Amino acid sequence: MTILRAQDLTLGYGRQSVVHDVSLDVTGGGVGLIGESGSGKTTLARAFLGLLKPQKGTIWYGGQDLKKADMRAFRRDVQPVFQAESLNPRRRVGASIAEGLPDRARVGELMEQVGLDPALAVRRPHELSGGQRQRVVIARALAVGPKLLILDEPTSALDVTVQAKVLDLLAGLDTERLLITHNLAVVGRLCRTSHVLFAGRVVESGPTAELLAAPAHPYTKALRDAVPTLGGQPPQAGTSAPPAETGCPFRSRCPLAVPECERAPELREVGEGRTVACHRAEDVLTGP
Amino acid sequence: MKAPELRRTLPRMPDRFAAAGAVLIVLVVLASLFAPWLAPYPVDDPKPLEALLPPSAEHWFGTDQVGRDVFTRVLYGGRTSLGIAVAVLAASALVGVTLGMIAGYAGGWLRDVIMRVTDVFLAFPALLLSLALAVVLQPSVTTVIVAIAVTWWPWYARLAASVAASVANRPYVDAARCLGVPAPLIVLRHVLPNSLTPVLVQVSLDAGGVILTAAALSYLGLGAHEPTAEWGLMVEQGQTLFTTNWWVVTFPGLAIVLTAFAFNVMGEGLRNALDPRSEGARGERARNEPTSREAVATINTRVVR
Amino acid sequence: MIEVRDLEVRYGARTVARVPELDVAAGECVAIVGESGSGKSTTLMSLLGLTENADVSGSIKVCGLDVRTASPRELRAIRGARAALVMQSPQAALSPTTRLGTLMRRALKLHGVTADPVAAVKAVMLDPAILRRYPHEISGGQAQRFAIALAIALGAGVVLADEPTSALDVTVQAEVITVLRRLQRERDLAILLVSHDLALVSTIADRVLVMKDGEVVESGPAARVLADPSHPYTRDLLEATP
Repeated sequence: MTILRAQDLTLGYGRQSVVHDVSLDVTGGGVGLIGESGSGKTTLARAFLGLLKPQKGTIWYGGQDLKKADMRAFRRDVQPVFQAESLNPRRRVGASIAEGLPDRARVGELMEQVGLDPALAVRRPHELSGGQRQRVVIARALAVGPKLLILDEPTSALDVTVQAKVLDLLAGLDTERLLITHNLAVVGRLCRTSHVLFAGRVVESGPTAELLAAPAHPYTKALRDAVPTLGGQPPQAGTSAPPAETGCPFRSRCPLAVPECERAPELREVGEGRTVACHRAEDVLTGP
Repeated sequence: MKAPELRRTLPRMPDRFAAAGAVLIVLVVLASLFAPWLAPYPVDDPKPLEALLPPSAEHWFGTDQVGRDVFTRVLYGGRTSLGIAVAVLAASALVGVTLGMIAGYAGGWLRDVIMRVTDVFLAFPALLLSLALAVVLQPSVTTVIVAIAVTWWPWYARLAASVAASVANRPYVDAARCLGVPAPLIVLRHVLPNSLTPVLVQVSLDAGGVILTAAALSYLGLGAHEPTAEWGLMVEQGQTLFTTNWWVVTFPGLAIVLTAFAFNVMGEGLRNALDPRSEGARGERARNEPTSREAVATINTRVVR
Repeated sequence: MIEVRDLEVRYGARTVARVPELDVAAGECVAIVGESGSGKSTTLMSLLGLTENADVSGSIKVCGLDVRTASPRELRAIRGARAALVMQSPQAALSPTTRLGTLMRRALKLHGVTADPVAAVKAVMLDPAILRRYPHEISGGQAQRFAIALAIALGAGVVLADEPTSALDVTVQAEVITVLRRLQRERDLAILLVSHDLALVSTIADRVLVMKDGEVVESGPAARVLADPSHPYTRDLLEATP
């Protein structure tokens, strides 16, 4: 089931574009958008939330162009979960949760649903811990009964022990989710399929487990290898050179770059449900 | 980079100034409010035989050229001058903040239109525009208020627009938009409350300026007129007597300068206290862990110097 | 290089950090791991005498200097030049109107050190062209490496790093960590790393202290703490770490 679909989406601010020709489906089972700062992942999230108009391309929502869709229904269906800092510092958290509700009757119920004591409703955000604030943000989003949550780095500001509990909460919700993050571990837990973004382009897509176990794009591989694991090898430096302006954007960092990479690679299939934009995907898949 | 260190070596100094300013303002306001009870003489009761008496036990600030008690008239003058300041600032802030919020939150062409209008008002030198208006209208306290307010609001519009534009990008505003909250409600609930601090600071910094401008207009004969007691007017009428009867002009003049100064100092203190980066507002955290930025700032200052 | 005994940092009646023992030798990397409010940053700050308004007791020796009894002048000589602090966002501490090269030369002159800025930035894998740049023109990872370059140019033997990579992308983090490890090996640098990331710490630290609510709940060689944690909190942390 496809809830949202991006088709040839180009996004940006003013005349600059930060996302180029992205096409992807938000389907059931959780979808991850993986990227580092500057990858355009947050811009893409804003477009999916209807907060940013595409410069080019279309967002489809239930078979309709989002530009022409019934925004009231859309707002009920699609809700964001931003970082814990997305609460108005001057409002009591109960009032923040009630914002999408006709009255306050359900605030307590929602707070219990996300594991918060309803008595906390009268507090202001700075009187709560980071984990509690993140739960408030989730409760606010759940208030309108959405079908899809768009999660933008929902746990990256939290301590690890708190992170684990918030992830449990998110995994247990019966809404679909689009998760935007730089954290590969989080994607593994919450998303069946994932897309890796580099410099505003999707460079690799596929089932999350396969993507992480055997990356087909050298960037996905570099990203995976840079994540430290308990008792593992220290992360190895690649390079963080700026993306190339022409051809494959990753070639300025790529250890496998060849002259052919001056020609931009198209997304192509490299297996069941897997696509990659790399001329040397086969070498990456079979490499060390 | 030097600020944190300076603040450490001069602990709380600005705050003490600000507190003194606030106390002074409270005194001036109380004195003006209770002028009818505090004043030893009627405000407008000329006694030509007692004209130009120097300060004494009966007349603390002496008497003016028609024999009125200067102390009494300074007390009553505060009512006019502070009244003008409050009226001007309230009107300017109301108009300026409303337009600024709309411009800052809406953006696009609406912002362009509002900001261009604001620019037109700002293009004229403020005092000149006030003067021109005051000349066209009848000289009166109301004229002074209108003339100054017309030149004052654009500053608040500009300030409010820039603050609102940055608050409009906060994630809680996006969250409210995603919940389908109508724009006017978003501005009222989220943007306005989180934009007010800098405007309030600016208002308190400006109060002194308004009092000075009002005094200048009255001094030029374009504002309050006899027999109203107003500080600027009193200075104007006493100016020729300065060399012979200094008290007639000195006491209202001092009142203007001190009040303006007090507002400025308090505004400055308010800014320091409300600025999250400054010492005062850190509150709880200051007592817990030092923030990393300060620590680095300290080191860097030392390294660089 | 660092020798701490019975350290206690208090704000009023509240004890924010208590560390019975902490030693870092030359060429060694020791990490303090903990979550927010654990007192790990306070501990690090107290080593440089940067805990303002706090009561600090115990003995702290950094590069042979007793930090608690040292004069402000002695402390200043130690900070930066002998023991360098690397923070989460070093850009905030770089004067925005000064080119990085100028900044480094001034720092060298101030501490009376002769060193080659170009060699220093090359040692942290930066292009020497960066010396002509202004702080806002460089990325977070470059700023972090520049801060390290500054430290080694000044001849620092100890680096105290407070969450040096937690604001960075993982690929950039890898670069900073690689640089730190290389300097540790080649220049016998002592590193005290404060971090919330147990996985990262486990890959580079020789010894680990785990802190919670101001107390050291576990300490020992990194491999031992990972394989055989003795405190339930350490086990919680290990379990929560992906």
